Amino acid sequence: MMPRAPLSLLARSFACCGMLLSTALVAAPLDEPLKPLPDIPVQDPRKVELGRQLFNEKQLSRNNTTSCATCHHLEQGGADDKPFSIGFQGGSLGINTPTVLNAALNFRQFWNGRAETLEAQIEDVVASPIEMGNTWPHVVDTLNLAPTYTAAFREAYTDGITIANVQNALATYERTLLTPNSRFDQYLKGNTDILTLEEKYGYQRFKDYGCIACHQGVNIGGNMFQKFGVMGDYFKARGNPTEADLGRFLATGEEDDRNVFKVPSLRNVALTAPYFHDGSAKTLEDAVHVMFTYQLGRVPSTEDIRLIVLFLKTLTGELGGKPL
Amino acid sequence: MTQTSGFLNRILLPRLALLLVAMLGLLYLMAGTDATLDYARCRDLVNRVKQLDAQWDTEILKARIALTRNYDPLVKPPQEMQQLLRTFTLIDPGQEHKAADAWKDRRDTLTQALSEKARLVEQFKSRNAILRNSLAFLPTAEDDIQHQLSELQDQDKLMLQDMSNDIYDLLLSALEFAQTTTDERAHTIELGLNQVMIDAQRLPPSFNEPVQILLNHINLILREQPKVNSLIEQIDAVPVSESLDAITDQLNQEQQQADQINQRHHWYLLLFSALLLVLLLYLASRLIRSYAEINRVNHALQVANTDLEQRVERRTQSLREAQSELMESARLAGMAEIATNVLHNVGNVLNSVNISADLVARKLRSSKTQGLAKAVTMINEHKHDLGEFITGDERGKLLPGYLNQLVEAIAAEQQSMSDELTQLSKSVDHIKDIVSTQQSYAGVSTMEEPLHIRDLLEDALRMNSGALSRHNVTVIREYDDVPRVMADKHRLLLILINLISNAKQAMANLTDRPREITLLVKAIEDSTLRISVKDAGEGILPENMTRIFAHGFTTRKDGHGFGLHSCALAAVEMKGHLTAHSDGPGKGAVFTLELPLKTAVGAV
Repeated sequence: MMPRAPLSLLARSFACCGMLLSTALVAAPLDEPLKPLPDIPVQDPRKVELGRQLFNEKQLSRNNTTSCATCHHLEQGGADDKPFSIGFQGGSLGINTPTVLNAALNFRQFWNGRAETLEAQIEDVVASPIEMGNTWPHVVDTLNLAPTYTAAFREAYTDGITIANVQNALATYERTLLTPNSRFDQYLKGNTDILTLEEKYGYQRFKDYGCIACHQGVNIGGNMFQKFGVMGDYFKARGNPTEADLGRFLATGEEDDRNVFKVPSLRNVALTAPYFHDGSAKTLEDAVHVMFTYQLGRVPSTEDIRLIVLFLKTLTGELGGKPL
Repeated sequence: MTQTSGFLNRILLPRLALLLVAMLGLLYLMAGTDATLDYARCRDLVNRVKQLDAQWDTEILKARIALTRNYDPLVKPPQEMQQLLRTFTLIDPGQEHKAADAWKDRRDTLTQALSEKARLVEQFKSRNAILRNSLAFLPTAEDDIQHQLSELQDQDKLMLQDMSNDIYDLLLSALEFAQTTTDERAHTIELGLNQVMIDAQRLPPSFNEPVQILLNHINLILREQPKVNSLIEQIDAVPVSESLDAITDQLNQEQQQADQINQRHHWYLLLFSALLLVLLLYLASRLIRSYAEINRVNHALQVANTDLEQRVERRTQSLREAQSELMESARLAGMAEIATNVLHNVGNVLNSVNISADLVARKLRSSKTQGLAKAVTMINEHKHDLGEFITGDERGKLLPGYLNQLVEAIAAEQQSMSDELTQLSKSVDHIKDIVSTQQSYAGVSTMEEPLHIRDLLEDALRMNSGALSRHNVTVIREYDDVPRVMADKHRLLLILINLISNAKQAMANLTDRPREITLLVKAIEDSTLRISVKDAGEGILPENMTRIFAHGFTTRKDGHGFGLHSCALAAVEMKGHLTAHSDGPGKGAVFTLELPLKTAVGAV
């Protein structure tokens, strides 16, 4: 037994290092694998306002029924509460709507990461036959008929209403949709008293149990792809395989990318139920359980889940200065 | 010799200078696009991309050895590289065609390398994350089993010890495998896995789960570690840095070429500048020489010019004189016309003066007063017996009757003579009138004065009255109510007299119809005064219509062709015009004078 002790001790003392350091330096920012949100970038207010109008503009869809805001409820975590969102003609998208909040910080867009930029994501949604069913030239024509838009575009862009400018305005607006000042961010910035002991334990377990292997960085996720079902076949267990389950395979066609998804951000995760691309987890507890089973290959205790969920709830930030 | 030098100077040298300037301009433009800065910027950019690539590599290695667990630093470098390369396209200095393909090739290679590297890094991130997770979890998983094992009381201690050692060995070989990945160690792990699986069958079922968890993670390490290692190798093998170096080489090569070309341009620039300088110096010397020549010619030209001016002055003067002479003769001709008329009229009136005087003289000669003298003589002879003579004498008785008759005859005679004298004095008055009228128009009137057109027409008629009555011409007056106007009396009268006289003469041979002159005065739109003289005479032939106002044109034997011409001139001088119209020979003619209507101030 003796030779084993130093090894596990080493591992644990490494893991505790962050905690020890944090108690030593009270006001200084913590050096953690998770990072607080950056400041909202300074954007042209005219473009932001234009983007805000377009975000709520139902004319983006073919039949004037669906805007971005139809599925992305800003006050409800930037997504909707349905497992699968509904397209402009009432058809199911077959995939859960990811939040628009902090989306600008994701390294790719969509669950399968097929869009490299927000602009590409916007392009895809509007032209999608299920989501908005429109064509971009038609969008430009429609907007050109509205004098308020032609005037606002001429003011914000030298060349008025173009496809690129519409996408840019929307993307510019989305870049402002960051949710800073969550309790956990305040903690990361040095205000360690703001978390309760249990929440700190939750964070500790989040790190120790390996969640942090994928959910890290400034967006607590959203910076890598990962196979859903590393330690077990999630889809076989769930049943009813769908096209969306193929994940990144749909974008690349590579066998290695089958069932691979973008690791989603955990910011404001308490507000975006149901969870996963298939919306199968109704609660955070369910989601944490699935993650433990299929990603971490562990069996969590009820206490583990409770504490981690407590921690996850500290990730809810503020939008426009108002708590979400 | 002079011809060739002239050709040289005038045509060849300027063209040569122009050519040189154009060449210099072209060379300047070519040298103006100083590419050195572009090349420097491009190299700087490539270096920055290289730095980012190195940074990326560093972050990959840090993730590989689990130094950081934050993958954000692996996301940023490729994004920044892409951004930089987008600007690189904008400042791409490779403009020459032959290099374009090479550039495309280089860039395609780089783009391919970058996307391949990005793809591999994404795989690396995913696999490394779970590998690190399993490796980190391994001691805990092992601990869980050891803990459970140590709590088993009723088992064979030796077997438990073996089992514990097997598990621990497996853990160690897995950790070693993570450090040094060889097939040999993989084989050792597989053996260990089998051993633990066999061991586990001898353990209570509660061990199934923790052992399975451990085995799962070890399997994952066994599976993922070689993959992660091979990914690292592949990432390392992606020729990003090499393709960036190739771009730098290409940049250097092109810059060298550009430098060579630039140097050549500089040589040309120097050469052409020198040539231009020589040319300019030559031209300057030519210029100085020609300056004197120009001065001389200029002077001569000036002299000639002055001479010419004087001659023009003289010629103008004589022309002016000729014109005034002409004007004078025209005026005199007009005067002569008037004088002729006046003399005619005066002559006519003198006729009647003559007759009247003759009549009075005759009457005087045959006056009855001689009878009175006889009667008085008779009375004187009978001074003493006058009463008896009158009552008794035969002749004396007749005397009172005779005297009575005589008184009547003398009274009648006196009456007749008095009448004749009245006529005479009237005629004299008439002459006076004619003469004074003529006198009032005789001067050269250039002044406009207020006048009534109808009065002027009457004057003109009066001056022609003798001739008119002699020719039995009836004058019809159709005068509109025209206000008093400002006009040149003399010129107007000249025209009117001429026109009336012409009209009269045009009807001289008329026998089949009454001779009528219609005088018409009319104001048109308050701006034009129209006076027309219409006759029922011989008319004007169409072919004469255009010549009628020409100097020297006449249809009369005794005409001098001056009247209408001077009338037309006078009309123009009054800013009006004179026109003629005729329906043809024998159908009469209308002469119309139109003048600007200037109402006299205070006109009634």
